Amino acid sequence: MPGDMILESREVSKSFGELTAVDSVDYQLREGESAGIIGPNGAGKTTFFNILTGLFPPNSGTILFRGRNVTKMSADQRVRMGMVRTFQLVSVFDTLPVLDNLILAVVRADTKNRNVIRFILGSSHTSQMEKVCMDTLEMVGIADKSRVLTSDLSYGDKRKLEIALALALKPRVLLLDEPLAGLSDPEIADIMELMNSLKDRLTLVIIEHKISQLTGLVSRLSVMHEGRLITEGDPDDILRDPVVRRVYWGEDDSSDDT
Amino acid sequence: MKRSTIRTLEKFNLPIVAAGFLLLAPVLTVQRTTDFIIFCIFVLAYDLLYGYMGRLSFGHMLYLGVGAYAAALCAEHISANPFIAILTALLSGAAVGLLLGPIIVRTTGACFALINLAFNQVGFFLALIALAEWTGGEDGMAAFFDTVWMLNFDNRYVVFGFSLFCLLLVVFLMRRLTGSPFGILLRMIKENETRAQFLGYNTYKYKLLAFVISTTVAAFAGALTILNYTYVTPSFIDTTRNVEVIFASLIGGAGSVFGALLGGMSYMAISNYLPNYIQRWEMFLGIALLLLVFRFQTGIWGFVVARVSGTDAEKDQ
Repeated sequence: MPGDMILESREVSKSFGELTAVDSVDYQLREGESAGIIGPNGAGKTTFFNILTGLFPPNSGTILFRGRNVTKMSADQRVRMGMVRTFQLVSVFDTLPVLDNLILAVVRADTKNRNVIRFILGSSHTSQMEKVCMDTLEMVGIADKSRVLTSDLSYGDKRKLEIALALALKPRVLLLDEPLAGLSDPEIADIMELMNSLKDRLTLVIIEHKISQLTGLVSRLSVMHEGRLITEGDPDDILRDPVVRRVYWGEDDSSDDT
Repeated sequence: MKRSTIRTLEKFNLPIVAAGFLLLAPVLTVQRTTDFIIFCIFVLAYDLLYGYMGRLSFGHMLYLGVGAYAAALCAEHISANPFIAILTALLSGAAVGLLLGPIIVRTTGACFALINLAFNQVGFFLALIALAEWTGGEDGMAAFFDTVWMLNFDNRYVVFGFSLFCLLLVVFLMRRLTGSPFGILLRMIKENETRAQFLGYNTYKYKLLAFVISTTVAAFAGALTILNYTYVTPSFIDTTRNVEVIFASLIGGAGSVFGALLGGMSYMAISNYLPNYIQRWEMFLGIALLLLVFRFQTGIWGFVVARVSGTDAEKDQ
């Protein structure tokens, strides 16, 4: 059952020039919840994520995370507090081997060993750290590719690596920005299975375009349209909501889910 | 050559570097080899920023000059003990890095390159005119050091041996730095700094640290230059000389300790010997640079590593 409020936005707005990308959004997330945010392209979902995670500040409004006002905090501070995200276009370090991508996340999450000298001068590949990395890679199913240069991975494997990066940081809240975008059907099945196994262990927020995929996964669906949060509730109810059907599929209700 | 050969090279890097320079000394003369060694230290300092962190500086001569002038001023006014002079140079290099770093490391790309250049120009002006009373202006200043622990730095064999020891120290330090989580973080900053922040790292802090290490090691090279030449003039920090270290980093292969060493050696070899045969040798440097940019972007060391991995991959198939 969802617990205390962990992440909250209050009247958050952001505009780029004339365009208001996010318009006075109030959003609440409780600990242990899995929530989805849907909306057509350009609805402001990713911009909202970017504000929540500190990529850029809102023009107005407040972000609360674990009871603290984090509106002015940098992205890295929020990550250290446990707010971790992935990106819509997979963002991993192509020039490094898969394992090296993960090691810094593992080091970051290892709060017991905060030794600056060891960080700067110690070896980056201790057997203990490598073991944690391998366990995480195992979890997402790419352990066999640990020595491969990341640029040689397929797009789907890069997505899995990015999720592994996020998991290695031991997040309190994990925000996934269109984790299924650009993947093939078998890859989608893999990621869905992974997300299903995650939802019991941590708080999840998922932006997704393919709403049919989300219905079984999340317990609450919010709909964004033209920068506003227009409605939210139980996924099945949301999908039947005539307003949602109109913004998603236009006046014509017959076309199917994309 | 096999991949295992490269691993062996990397494992025994210190004895190999030492042996290399000891063998080179009789061929090139001791003083010239000392020049090579000191330049290699400077290239290593530069490559931490350029090769690993991906920040190209057009003004690194300044930090070398800070070390050289600090050591000379120390010898004149404070103590002629060469070790105290070197320590003064290191502290000055770190202080300048800490002073300018907070401004400089916030920038990237062309801005980073040019802001370093601007500070280098300021330093040049200070040494040449504003502080001429201290630095001797255009004539520069001489520095003489005491004999400490039987190390007489007037003896070029002593300078050679000491410089080589310092180079090994810097190679060791750089390999530790770049083989650590910090080293991986620098490479991440080079590729995508924002993404590194989303791994929970305050990248500004680590960029500043890398910058200060780089200016300190550059100042170290400056202090050794003074030991080797016993004088310093503003030409030591002439901005046009930055091209030397940029070229050396590129030719050897940026982002690798061996690459930096090979680059330093290659550049020194070209600039020392090509003029004997061709008067306007700089043109050939330009042509070599074009070749590098278009054909061998990873430099000599990168080329070697790629060839070796390539042949191994063929065998695997």
